Order: sequence, then structure tokens, then C-alpha cells
Amino acid sequence: MKKVLAMVLAGGRGERLYPLTRDRAKPAVPFGAIYRIIDFTLSNCLHSGLRRIYALTQYKSTSLNRHIQLGWNILSAPLGEFVEVIPAQQRIDEHWYQGTADAIFQNIYTLQEDRPDLVLILSGDHIYKMDYRKMIAFHLEKGADLTVAAIRMDRKLSREFGVIEVDRDWRIVGFQEKPEEPKTIPGDPGGILASMGIYVFNTELLVRRLIEDARSESSHDFGKDIIPMMIGKDQVFVFDFMQGDFGGTGYWRDVGTIDAYYEANMDLIAVTPQLNLYDPQWSILTYQSASPPAKTVWIEERRVGTALNSIISNGCIISGGNVKRSILSPRVAVHSFAEIEDSILLEGVDVGRNAKIKKTIIDKEVQIPPGMEIGYHLDEDAKRFTVTASGIVVVPKGIRL
Amino acid sequence: MKKTILVVEDEEGLRLLYEEELKGEGYDILTAKNGREAIRQLETGKPDLIILDIVMPVMDGMETLGRIVSKERKTPVILNTSYSGYQQDFMSWAADAYVTKSHDLTELKKKIRELLEISEKSRNL
Repeated sequence: MKKVLAMVLAGGRGERLYPLTRDRAKPAVPFGAIYRIIDFTLSNCLHSGLRRIYALTQYKSTSLNRHIQLGWNILSAPLGEFVEVIPAQQRIDEHWYQGTADAIFQNIYTLQEDRPDLVLILSGDHIYKMDYRKMIAFHLEKGADLTVAAIRMDRKLSREFGVIEVDRDWRIVGFQEKPEEPKTIPGDPGGILASMGIYVFNTELLVRRLIEDARSESSHDFGKDIIPMMIGKDQVFVFDFMQGDFGGTGYWRDVGTIDAYYEANMDLIAVTPQLNLYDPQWSILTYQSASPPAKTVWIEERRVGTALNSIISNGCIISGGNVKRSILSPRVAVHSFAEIEDSILLEGVDVGRNAKIKKTIIDKEVQIPPGMEIGYHLDEDAKRFTVTASGIVVVPKGIRL
Repeated sequence: MKKTILVVEDEEGLRLLYEEELKGEGYDILTAKNGREAIRQLETGKPDLIILDIVMPVMDGMETLGRIVSKERKTPVILNTSYSGYQQDFMSWAADAYVTKSHDLTELKKKIRELLEISEKSRNL
């Protein structure tokens, strides 16, 4: 069996997720009530039999560090297994990572010590379930130097993705970064292959190409620089995500904006979500503090504590308030006559009596005073909070209301 | 035009030998005793080629090479050491040539000519 090292790029600033990324890197943003975004990628590694994982961080990494230390200290060091965070060390040069390729190049000594046969490069920013073993098997079968995972998308979305052009053999013959006129899939003029930022490299060739890239004037990015450099020179193939998607639904989301984040969370409250969190064969692991079970109280004529079409985590108490189509992280309290609709409440949020919350994301530990309305008068909300074009309000961490 | 070579070598005797021999070949020579001095020389002296020892105090050759490379520099680098084992190090692959130390400088001089020719060609492209 080949020795594979997984390197998860977890340094993304996630500027378009502000203010959720004001205090934390994007992979550490809470998702799906109890998870952090990076949990999906790390769980995929574990279920794929990959137990040697480095997460490369740089900006605002404290929250991510803590999460990985608390939640992912589950592997066996004596067996050579680990999930380890490597902060930007400025060991090779005194600058922050300039691009995704630079992040790996700056950690060339880590590769050197580990000497894997293959390096699996992942992003800590995406929500999906994927068996990376399928991709690695494809890589070996093709005799590839580099294999890039791609997902089929409608060509109309080409301006949001790196678009891969392939021949009939799924060999990469071109790469366009966010093109207006994309190259479509052979035999499917309406579809494009969008890069998922997942790469399997033969280690030696990776090192050689990283060095070459480091020495040239470049943005030092896999999509923009390394892949184009390798096309026509090395054996570069595309792996179709559908061949490795564990759920079989093709669900993959880059929750890069508040709107995308909101939608992906809301996907989970569907009757049968495309992303199944309940499959014991592909459980998503995370860190959870010990909290008592969720609870609803009061069933009187006017005062009834209810939660409908919602996800309610441990430690929540819905005390005479109503929760609809919402996601409640652990230890959220909803007091009497409060109404919460289409919202995401992160850990420890407290909603006072008679408060009304709609289409709002409330960050950790915020106290909503009794009677306050958020999400009903967007002009007013925009004076204090972030309000997206589609009308989602974000109440930031630490705000005093 | 006369080419400038930066010789990075901690051992004084060798440094003088290289300096003398390479001047004899018609090159201008800059010298540095360690990596840190070499990085300073790079900023001010703008050499056309670097001969880099690996085992040095203050800052060794591998670390120096990393810094040279990550500043997007195309200046050719020859790693020059008494030990061949360093070719196993990934960072050593960033060098353009690897020449084992010897008092006979024939091989080193040949590599210098080759690399200067290549970099001249790529500049004229």
C-alpha cells in the first residue's frame, strides 16, 4: 500500500463570511449545529483510512487549534497516526503563505521528514462526504503525476470556479480560472468540470514543481500556476467526484459566502437532506462539550414550547417559545413567547421573552433582550448588523444589545 | 560583460582558493562566510551565479537556498559540499547543480560555464 500524507489547507481568511470569520479562520466556522467546517474534510480522511493529517493554518488560528486539540485527539500516536496543526512558521522565508502552493512549499521540511509516496492536498473549507481512497486508486491506475478532483456543474456557474478542460480519456488539457466562456465536458455542452481544490500528487514531482513555481514570478497557487505549468508536461488527470462521493447525491458546497453558508445549513433541515449526517458508516466527528439533552417546556393554553422542522442540539432549552425551520447549536435558550424562524443560532445564544428572530444568523453567546425583533425591518437591522443582499442578518459574536 | 559570482563558504582557505581561481577565469567575485552574509550580498551585489556551501555556521546552505528560492530568484545556484548525502534533501533539488568539493576545480568551472550559458539564453528568449 502506498504511504499517503494528507495536508489540509486551513489558512483561509474567509473574508466573505465576515463577521463569522472575525474571530476565527473559515475552517473553524461552526456549521450544522455542532460541527466546524473542517470536521467534514477530517472525517472524510478518517473514513478513507488516512490517519496522518496535517492542517496548515495561518490567520486567526486559535479557535481552530483548540477545536482540533479537543475534538481530534482521537488517533493513535504509537501507530504513527496524527491530526496535527502546523501554523505558518516562516521557516523558509519571512512572509505569510502567498498562495495554496506556497503553503505546501513552505512546509517542504515536513514532507521531507515524512517522505510519503503520495500527498493528498485538501481544503478545509468545504462540506461534502468523499472516499478519497477511490481517488487515490484512480490516480495509481492512470499512472498519474497529479490527479485533480472535479465536480460537474452547470456551465452558467463557471465564473465561480476553476474550470478544467479534459480530453475523452479525462486527461487535463486546459485549466481556466473563473472563465466567462468555459470549456465544457466532452459530450455535455451544458456542463463544466469545476475543480474542488483536491489534489493527489506523487511526492517527488510535487516537490519539483513547487520549487520551480517558487523560483518564478507567480501567485504560487495550485489552480492558477501549478496545474497550468504541469499540463502537457506531466501526467495530469481529473477524478470525477461522483465516483468518490460517499452519499451518492453529489452534494458538495463551498460555503464561501454568508448566503451559501446559510443555504448549506438550511439544507440540513430538509426531510431527507442530500447530505446525510445520520449514516453511521460515515459519521462526521467533532468536539462537543458535555451538555444535557435538549428539552422543551411549557404546554399551556398560550404558552407552548415547540420546535418544528428544526435541528436542536444538546443543552438547548426551549421554554415556552417557538422555533421553526431553524438550527440551534448547543446550549441555546429560547424564552417564553419568543419566535425563531429560518434562523441559525450558534452555541450559547439566549433569546429573551417575546423576541422575534427571522432569517438571522446569531453568533456564539449573544444575548437577545426581551422583545427585540431582528430580521423584520432590514433597514433598521442594517444599521447595526451585516445584512446580505438576499436579506440574511448576521449578529456578530460579542455584541451587547 | 563580466559575470559576477557569489562564493558562500565558511572555510577561509577554500574561499581564497575559489576567489583566486575564478578570478583567473575572468569572473568578478563576491564572497560571504555564511548564509546571512550571502543574503545581504544578494541584495547589494546582484551576482549572476551563486556557489553555496551547505555546512556553515550562522545560516547553513539549505536554509539559504530556501530563502533564495522563495524570493522568486532565478539566479543559478551550485550546491558545493564534501557530502553527497544532501542530495536526498528535498530542498537541495532547488539547486541547479550539485558539485562535490575538491581542490581540483575543473568540474566546478565547467558547471559554472554551463549554467551561465543557460541563464544567458533564457534571458535572451
